[in-house]
Amino acid sequence: MNDAVLSLREVRKSYREADGNRLDVIQVGQFELAAGDQIALVGSSGSGKSTLLNLIAGILLPDAGVVCVNGTDITQLPEAKRDRFRAGNIGYVFQSFNLLQGFTALENVRLGQMFGNGTGDAVELLKKVDLAHRLHHKPRALSVGEQQRVAIARALVNAPALVLADEPTGSLDAANGTAVLELLRQVCTEGRHTLLMVTHDPAVMRHFERVVRLEELR
Amino acid sequence: MNLFKIVTKNMRQRALATTLTGISVALAVALTVAIVHIKRGMQQRFEQSTLGYEMVIGAKGSPLQLVLNTVFNLDISPGNIPWTLVEKLQADRRVKAAVPFSVGDNYRGFRIIGTTGAFGETFGYKLAEGRWFTCSIEALRDAFKEALEHSQERIAKEKGDAPAKPAAHHHNAAEAVIGATVAQETGLRVGQKFIAAHGVEVSPNAEEHTDNPWTITGILAPTGTAVDRGLYINLDSFYHIEGHEVRDAPKDNDPDPGQVSAIALKLRSPIHAFPIYREINDGEEAMAAFPAVEVRKLFAIVGNIDRILLAQAILIGLVAGVAIAVSIYNSMSERRREIAILRALGARRGTIFAIVVLEAVAICAAGAVAGVAGGHLIVMVANAALRHVSGFTVAPLTMEVAELWVVAGSVALGALAGIGPAWRAYRTEVAENLAPTS
Repeated sequence: MNDAVLSLREVRKSYREADGNRLDVIQVGQFELAAGDQIALVGSSGSGKSTLLNLIAGILLPDAGVVCVNGTDITQLPEAKRDRFRAGNIGYVFQSFNLLQGFTALENVRLGQMFGNGTGDAVELLKKVDLAHRLHHKPRALSVGEQQRVAIARALVNAPALVLADEPTGSLDAANGTAVLELLRQVCTEGRHTLLMVTHDPAVMRHFERVVRLEELR
Repeated sequence: MNLFKIVTKNMRQRALATTLTGISVALAVALTVAIVHIKRGMQQRFEQSTLGYEMVIGAKGSPLQLVLNTVFNLDISPGNIPWTLVEKLQADRRVKAAVPFSVGDNYRGFRIIGTTGAFGETFGYKLAEGRWFTCSIEALRDAFKEALEHSQERIAKEKGDAPAKPAAHHHNAAEAVIGATVAQETGLRVGQKFIAAHGVEVSPNAEEHTDNPWTITGILAPTGTAVDRGLYINLDSFYHIEGHEVRDAPKDNDPDPGQVSAIALKLRSPIHAFPIYREINDGEEAMAAFPAVEVRKLFAIVGNIDRILLAQAILIGLVAGVAIAVSIYNSMSERRREIAILRALGARRGTIFAIVVLEAVAICAAGAVAGVAGGHLIVMVANAALRHVSGFTVAPLTMEVAELWVVAGSVALGALAGIGPAWRAYRTEVAENLAPTS
């Protein structure tokens, strides 16, 4: 095994359709990301981008193949260990933020910390994403841009090797989207986190030096 | 951040359902605590009151009625027994003390009991202040004679005959020693006088013995028994009151016209209990009863009612448990996304299961704690009724071990109620629930 942060080999995922036929959603031959890499993975809607991120995060298991994160084949881990591994090694930023509504910004970040046993400073991270004045506000009291910045802080609180972002600007306007995107890239650069972002937005793709189409992974 | 904080947040988000289900648990626990507390408290009070009263003797009838009347100042006297029996028992070598009682009057609802100086000495009742009343056997015999003359005078009047002139009698002072509760509730103090009303219960039409006021010579130290609610007078003064003549038609050669309501016995050895019990009950003039046995029988009867009430409280608890289970189970549909987010953040299935079970447990535990407080509040409120019915009150702030079991049971109920919803949460699929539902 090399020093790749993410390594996919012969990964297959299919779903059984209502008529009983199997639909191949993911077919990846070989794909690797090194520490500090930042790439945009591009595909049309419904092409399986989110499914691929869930496979990398260990939320879903492939029908076949190897998914290595930081040198660990997560497909071989029992579910509980896979959950713990995900919390400590993978940060996940969602299009719809996925913040818990009953918790403040700070509490949402600390939730991420709790499951990953992280020792990062949640307050410092929120300051870094320019939310020092919003620590104790609940998501409903935050703008959508602020909510996504909370989600970024939460994804980074355990200093993960790999950050997965599933169309993180999809729910934001252009200005907010650009700001969030730059922020995410900046903090990943500073922390040498590997960033894999899926998108179908050409505007987002332009921010990345390396853009990979999902079909190219076959 | 920890699991308890997550649970608290979840409960706050469902504040109405949490509060309502918590209240139903609190209601069940409050009822259980109140029932257990009142039953235990009353049983202790009753058993405490029987201490020292090894056997009571009274007119034939209900042994429970005799015990309630003699030991607890409750119910009415089953009738009278001859004074000669008192003397006979006092002369019996097996008997350490035979203390006579005569009842029939009250002061503001507190019973007046005529007895002798042996009462305090035999049962170890201590005075908080003052001295015991004076009562001698000579004065008592004189009182019986006077009572007999009053009876004869009344019978002669009824027949239309000229009544004989009653002889002059020497009267001891009419004195009383009162129980601690009587002193506290009536404000009577040593040296003050009081007038008795006829009958053992307060009645607006009761005749008052205005010509026979008693002077208080002492106040008893609190005993926690029925004695606290009695006014104890010298027995001879009881028979000086008009209307307390003891027989309708005394026989000509009756050596002793005296009668008493009951006798309490203290024996030299427990081995004498059954022989004396049999001798008395085989005879025709009286009946013997063991207070401890009668109290146990009474609480065996009360215990059945008690069990029905407890069963009702447990049923309410079970319904509350089902309500919690249904409420949390139904909320799982709305919480699928939250669960998926927690899972995506790294929470294990077991952690999610624990959060949901803890939520049900927390509702039950909070309800149980509120219920324990509520139960004690019920006891405080019920004390007024208890005092009216039994003369006793139950200390509302003492804790019973059973209460800890009730709280533990409620926590177990919560855990049980949480299992169904927790299993549903456990099985929540992460990937398909991460996206918002429209």
